[in-house]
Amino acid sequence: MNIAPRLGMASVLALVLSAGAALAADQVTLQYWVYSDFAEGDALKLQQQFIAEFEKAHPGVKIVISGKGDDDLTTGEVTGAASGNPPDVFMNGLPFGAQLVEAGALDNVYAKWMAMPQEFRDQFDKDAIASCSPKPQTMYCLPYTGFNELLFRNLTVLKQAGIDTSTPPKDWAEWFEQMKKVKAAGKSAMPDQTQVFNSVASTYSIVGPHEEWGIDFATKKTKINPESYEKALQLFVDMKPLASGTSRNDQATKDLFITDQLAFHVVGPWVDPTYHQAAQVSGLKYDFVLVPGANPGQYAGIKAYEILGVAPGKHADVAWQFAAYVSDKPQMLRWAKLLSRYNANAAAMSDPEVARLPLIAKSVEAVKHGLDVKPPYFVGAYPNCYNSIVTDNAAAVADGKTTPADGAKSLVKDLNDCIAGN
Amino acid sequence: MIGRKHIPHYAMVLPFMALFATFFLYPIASGLYYSFFDWNASSRARFVGFDNYQHIVASRDFHDAMINLAAYVSITVPLGITVAFGLALLVDSFKGVWAHFFRTIFFVPVVLPAFLAATIWRWIYAPNFGLLNMILGWMGVPSVSFLNNTGTMLYALIAVDVWVSAGFNMVIILAGLKNIPGHYYEAARLDGATKLQQVIYITIPMLYPVLFFVVTYGFISALQVFDIPWLLTGSSFAAYGGRQRALLFPVMDMMGRGFGGLHFGQASAYGFILTMVIVLITAGLFAFGRGRFAQ
Repeated sequence: MNIAPRLGMASVLALVLSAGAALAADQVTLQYWVYSDFAEGDALKLQQQFIAEFEKAHPGVKIVISGKGDDDLTTGEVTGAASGNPPDVFMNGLPFGAQLVEAGALDNVYAKWMAMPQEFRDQFDKDAIASCSPKPQTMYCLPYTGFNELLFRNLTVLKQAGIDTSTPPKDWAEWFEQMKKVKAAGKSAMPDQTQVFNSVASTYSIVGPHEEWGIDFATKKTKINPESYEKALQLFVDMKPLASGTSRNDQATKDLFITDQLAFHVVGPWVDPTYHQAAQVSGLKYDFVLVPGANPGQYAGIKAYEILGVAPGKHADVAWQFAAYVSDKPQMLRWAKLLSRYNANAAAMSDPEVARLPLIAKSVEAVKHGLDVKPPYFVGAYPNCYNSIVTDNAAAVADGKTTPADGAKSLVKDLNDCIAGN
Repeated sequence: MIGRKHIPHYAMVLPFMALFATFFLYPIASGLYYSFFDWNASSRARFVGFDNYQHIVASRDFHDAMINLAAYVSITVPLGITVAFGLALLVDSFKGVWAHFFRTIFFVPVVLPAFLAATIWRWIYAPNFGLLNMILGWMGVPSVSFLNNTGTMLYALIAVDVWVSAGFNMVIILAGLKNIPGHYYEAARLDGATKLQQVIYITIPMLYPVLFFVVTYGFISALQVFDIPWLLTGSSFAAYGGRQRALLFPVMDMMGRGFGGLHFGQASAYGFILTMVIVLITAGLFAFGRGRFAQ
């Protein structure tokens, strides 16, 4: 058998493979993980446009975008870090930052951040940057998108209840009076605010001082002051008979709002596309205003940012460049225009074309008053028991199983036990 | 010594054994190994002996999860199989198009994604406005918060679980029914047996191997219950198990400890405890089944 042709073919194949390997060595493929709604529809098209622009400016770099659900992002980032194969650039929420640091998923980008031009660094929201920087010479993220809750009002329900909708409620007292009128008109005023940690935090923000919310990781105790918290618990008791019984995140809550059965929905701006579509299709009449605080001129609601993190490793530099590119003003400006959504790039938010978009204008104002959901960020991970204790306590008080005063005291004790046992 | 004639046989089972060892045996062995370490996925694992096991067994969440699991398994497995058996008998009684129609209808929940099933049921269970509460309202019954009342949460879950799993078990039992020779029923009818007597004395004994499989599979699935309660309670790694942990189950607790708290050593120990529980129950079922088959 003549083996010469086979040897020849093998040589050619080896050459091709070695050339491919050399080419592959120059190629860098970055895995870019985003929330699933960033990888759908128009949002995905714009993200792909950002990627194409970056790839064009950085020959040899290829970026693969993947959309993931909330839990999938966290598990993937943690297991990726553990196995030495994390995504290179990824999103997550600020409240998960400490876990990602502990898992080794986040690179300290402080040096890279400081190497950027001052003009770049100045464009971000100062509070958001501070959230990413838990101590000197340490920075774990670039703030990306974000939100502050708004009060979505169903104007039809309010008018049916005889409420003047021309001005939003000026404080909690007026808002609560409106809720009672809505209930008297046979409709639900609010979702059940005790069911989800964020809605408990949101209700607390109406009457509670921001500096008393969260964990003091130095003393390993909750910062909640029972005297202040008692006032928040009273709000749950007051709202209980007026509520729909559904949580703020339930599809049923949105459906009730759309079908003119629910007057108020305190939630982030992500519900606006749904409500906007309902306005066009079924004639829903709604608006969004700042969440009233305890007194006139005070506002409430929670705020949080989605972050961009960069994994440590050999691709960290180019991953940082990509993260910096997508969070830069021109990109955040296009993002804001397309989705009418707030983000952490203050320069983009103050652009006249964006600043006049109603949802953004309201969000920019709301963020100034928002309560951080789980401060301080990147310092320590909240124990698993924390959220459940807070929601169970609020529900028990609302159901009349204990008084607000006793509930507040037992909450602090339970939370401190939970933190100590972590 | 392996004879040459057996080599093809071993070669044929090799791919399965390789996959089985890689994706089943290795994770179990690895889980057992890490269960003796304090490990957060990034730092160096620290040997802690049986501390993880002690910590888990002493924890309130483990206690609650096991009690919930025992209640759930003891209701959902027999109820689910009874419903599936009833549906199989019903579908078997139809012929032609109607048999296909009902078989398809009852199987639909099986192919429905879990999140969709949970969303549908969250709407059905919604207080005041949900379908179930509307029906109860027509009968003068006040609104029930099925997914937030600790007295109803478990039963609400079981109803969803039975709805989801009944179609799968029905198809298996239906296949078993088709294999029962018709002349047994013919003889029974000639002897004057009623329908119920035919089911008790012919159908159930003849279906014994099929029912054994369904029961065993039902136990194994129920012991690992995760997705439906996770979704019904709107759980995340930050908070799971619903109000007062009434729908907290071991796999949820294990996942929470791992990915919520980064206590992977504890999560591994939890997984190993659960594996042992499943192995013991399955072994018990097989021992019981062997005795029955021997008869």
